[in-house]
Amino acid sequence: MQLILHDMTPIHWAVAGAVIAAVTLTMLFVGNRRLGISTGFEDACGLVLNAPYFRRSGALDGRTWRLPFLGGLVLGGVLSAVLGGGWEPTWALGMFDTEVGWGPTGKVMWMFGGGLLIGFGTRLAGGCTSGHGIFGLSNLEVPSLVATVSFMGAGVVTTNLLYRVVLA
Amino acid sequence: MPVFFVMLGAVFGLALSRSGAADYDFIQGMFLFTNFQLYGIIGAAVVLTAPGLWLLKRYGKTMTGEAITLPARLGHRGNIYGGILFGIGWSITGMCPGPILVNIGEGKLYALAALAGALVGAGAFGLLYPRLQAPLRLQPLRMGTGEG
Repeated sequence: MQLILHDMTPIHWAVAGAVIAAVTLTMLFVGNRRLGISTGFEDACGLVLNAPYFRRSGALDGRTWRLPFLGGLVLGGVLSAVLGGGWEPTWALGMFDTEVGWGPTGKVMWMFGGGLLIGFGTRLAGGCTSGHGIFGLSNLEVPSLVATVSFMGAGVVTTNLLYRVVLA
Repeated sequence: MPVFFVMLGAVFGLALSRSGAADYDFIQGMFLFTNFQLYGIIGAAVVLTAPGLWLLKRYGKTMTGEAITLPARLGHRGNIYGGILFGIGWSITGMCPGPILVNIGEGKLYALAALAGALVGAGAFGLLYPRLQAPLRLQPLRMGTGEG
């Protein structure tokens, strides 16, 4: 299978896994921080919302490192596109285009709805694929195993419902 | 130090972008069990991070000699309910939180809508926290010490 981005061949999974492990361990060894990306969404919310939840020091300290890390992720995407054949805005969405076939307006509504579930769900679960799936599992934390099984299971059910039941 | 985290994020983002972890088709392939790239990536990351973490915790210090503290995170019902909501969202968008940002960087315009949704969702959770805390047995907010 090829990537949607410039139809490139993906790098080997073991290489990607090794880079993720290296970044996770470097973040702890150099920055004394636990890998976690979804908490950055609440850091961003805390810039404009004043509820007690956003005033936790665990959220406030993110401004010095978590938001820069999130900015780095965007930069990584830009570099990937530029080095892989050039940066250009696109609506391409792989099998969603061939199977569902909605235009930009439909995609925006679909993505906004999915994003709502991601933002609310990751805050309720206390983490996402990085904090629970990578860091939590690596640190043998039971709540992270529970959360990971929950989100993997829900993903399997939802995607199969869409592509093997609704669109069958 | 912020520059260090920007660079770390860029390396992480490049790996997500080029491996399929930030690609709609690879995410659906993982959930359909028709493509195993993502299982390999997550599996390799955990298998390699776990012994490193064990060693780092044994060593107990960062590069600059600061003590490494990783307080145990308590489980609660939100791990399940929130996990399920997030899993549905991951399937719908084909993106978990990191890849939303990576896809924005790549120029995929719909990822901006996913980010907007995620920010509204996280904001709503924060505002509703006082009402959700008791029924879901969430931890009380610790205003003095963060949980990261």
